[in-house]
Amino acid sequence: MPTVSLEVKAISAATTPAPGMKEAPRVAKLIDVSSCIGCKACEVACQEWNDLPPSVDRPFTGSYQTMPDLSWNFWQLIKFNEILRGDGRLEWTMTKYQCMHCADPGCLRACPAPGAIVQYANGIVDFVQENCIGCGYCITGCPFDVPRLNPQTGRVSKCTLCSDRVAAGLEPACIKACPTNCLSFGTKEKLLLIAHQRVEQLKERGFPNAGVYDPPGVGGTHVIYVLPHADRPEDYGLPKDPKVSWTLKLWKGPLKWLGHLIVFGGILGAFVHYLRFGPHRAREEDTGK
Amino acid sequence: MAERDEIQRFTMAERLIHWAVAITFVYLVLSGLALFYPSFYWLASVLGGGPVIRRWHPIVGVAMFVFLLGMYLQWRRDMKLDDLDRQWLRQVGKYIRHEEGVPESGRFNAGQKLLFKTMSLMGLLLLLSGIPLWFPLRFSRSLREWSILVHEIAALVAIGGLIAHIYMGTAVVRGSMRAMLTGWVSRAWARAHHPRWAREVERTP
Repeated sequence: MPTVSLEVKAISAATTPAPGMKEAPRVAKLIDVSSCIGCKACEVACQEWNDLPPSVDRPFTGSYQTMPDLSWNFWQLIKFNEILRGDGRLEWTMTKYQCMHCADPGCLRACPAPGAIVQYANGIVDFVQENCIGCGYCITGCPFDVPRLNPQTGRVSKCTLCSDRVAAGLEPACIKACPTNCLSFGTKEKLLLIAHQRVEQLKERGFPNAGVYDPPGVGGTHVIYVLPHADRPEDYGLPKDPKVSWTLKLWKGPLKWLGHLIVFGGILGAFVHYLRFGPHRAREEDTGK
Repeated sequence: MAERDEIQRFTMAERLIHWAVAITFVYLVLSGLALFYPSFYWLASVLGGGPVIRRWHPIVGVAMFVFLLGMYLQWRRDMKLDDLDRQWLRQVGKYIRHEEGVPESGRFNAGQKLLFKTMSLMGLLLLLSGIPLWFPLRFSRSLREWSILVHEIAALVAIGGLIAHIYMGTAVVRGSMRAMLTGWVSRAWARAHHPRWAREVERTP
């Protein structure tokens, strides 16, 4: 399993720091939307490498999309969108969608099961199904709506960024399969450099709003995009300004301490009250014994 | 027995429903703490493991709500606050310090009445906010986020109430536990803790 060879940086529902000590280069996947041809080779490679059963139970809806949405056994999807631009031109976008591997993962923050979600030092966020309890809090915590619950097993799954392959020094399966170099894999620093170069090219070619999608609301992501219209990420099926929600921060922060205060403070308070005032004797020998 | 020095405080039905709420509530507190706070996750192991409590917490929650509803219907007339209760609440410090001069209570004192109202309201909030958490895939993300907050705050208020209730009922007001188990209290106990109720019962034999 990948947990053997990868340095762990954060563990869900942990009460102590993660054991990882070593620094590891932060990895990233770059998706250059401008050069995606919608061939879906990445989808096939993903299903094949991860040995995921095909989901044939959902009806075909007359779209170019393989599936209407992600599912527990379908971890990445090319979203096809038809966008009418302001000047009347129709744009057909094809955008690969999967787990973003946030630097500040809302799923991991929300997860109540110790060790069900881990973040490796290289930035990959991985679900460990044997520790998952199926509560679905990660689904609520994720600002990208990525984790999917398998109702049969009660476990949640999502893209692993091929943590098993990466641990062995290989690139993720989807990247291996991409025929246009729309997908690339490497250190995040290097890929950000490539992404910004690509953005400059796009700007020269008449896409003034081209940009890199690396949303700061989740601390940046380890899956980054080059978008020809970065001012409108919704057109690509990406949230405009994803954030770890304040309700989650409140729940796992101040309210956690308030909870401990009520439980332990309440018990302690009762004990001290008893020491100070003792049992209630409204009138002598009226205690009903 | 009643001819001697004892009067009945709780009927069998009242005791049964009280303990049904109590037992389900304690399970919900323990499993809920495990699901909400990592430092209490060990409670999950005691109760059969994470997947087990994830399955049973909501089911027991619905059961508790049904019992709570029964308890509410059964006691709601006895739990109305009157003027003396409001005076009692203004002088609650005296009650806490066991001082003289606290207004006389009826069948339940104002503290019990407030606890009853608080717990009933929290029970309702916990049920409503619990449903989206039970079936996360059927509700929107923002509704689930709000539900988590409401569920947590209502649970914390209810846990605070539970701690106070157990402490008062076992350690402070001696004889309460026996009343809730056997149903009977001494006349002296009734006069001491619930004088208005004691007079009422003695008037109607």
